[in-house]
Amino acid sequence: MMSFEDRVVPIMQVDGYLLVPIQIDLDDRTVGRLQQQLLKEIERTRARAVILDVRMVEVIDSYISYTLSETAAMARLMGCRTVLCGIQPPVALTLAQMGVTLQEVAVARNLEHALVLAGSFQERDKGV
Amino acid sequence: MYEEKITSIIEDPAQEFDIVVRITREEDIAVARQMAKQLAQEIGFSLADVTRIATAVSELARNIYRYARQGRIMIRKRLEDRDSPGIEVIAADRGPGIPDIELVLTRGYTTWERSLGIGLSGVKRLMDSFAIHSEVGKGTVVITEKRRRAF
Repeated sequence: MMSFEDRVVPIMQVDGYLLVPIQIDLDDRTVGRLQQQLLKEIERTRARAVILDVRMVEVIDSYISYTLSETAAMARLMGCRTVLCGIQPPVALTLAQMGVTLQEVAVARNLEHALVLAGSFQERDKGV
Repeated sequence: MYEEKITSIIEDPAQEFDIVVRITREEDIAVARQMAKQLAQEIGFSLADVTRIATAVSELARNIYRYARQGRIMIRKRLEDRDSPGIEVIAADRGPGIPDIELVLTRGYTTWERSLGIGLSGVKRLMDSFAIHSEVGKGTVVITEKRRRAF
């Protein structure tokens, strides 16, 4: 089990998925700790997909983007997909203007869409 | 040219800033970003511009922390033009300096392992004006500005 200090976000396990609402300012240290927490939880729960809800995140800069992509690539190596949902319009605008692309991350409109996407990965992985 | 710039900016008491954040620790990046956001909101920037400005400050503060270990982010309101007030952000450090400025402004170029190489070129895209003065062994000053669009 993770110690309390290692946990930066609440993670809910639902039907083989991890739901992660991010409701804190992602400074560099926090985003690093978030990565550690996610990888540990993926290993512990053997989740098929992680859904990161970033509705409350007001700034996503190039380093946060990089770390999210890197985390998704790591998760992928552990057999887990990553879906990001709820990017705010000004954040989307800023990322697009900077030319940031999120690799290894699927992007969904909202939580409902994220669950559909996560489910579709599962079918694809089964070869249905 | 760099020496002149940094002296006039840091040591001239006539240069008044609304916010000065010393960047010495990783946490200071988020502090600079938050302060910039608040000031931009005060000036009345749109939410989109507040986000652009906060993101640009985040990139500049991180560059200081990564490459120079310490430096300053200085921010001030520009209210001379009442129809379109603005915000000026200056990032200054006495770090290693940049040998090839053209190169660091190239999207995707980075000397940092864990990076997209989008920092400085991103700042240039997000802000209205962008100037950089750097001298190897002496430091770097980035001066950038955003004007509030007239409604």
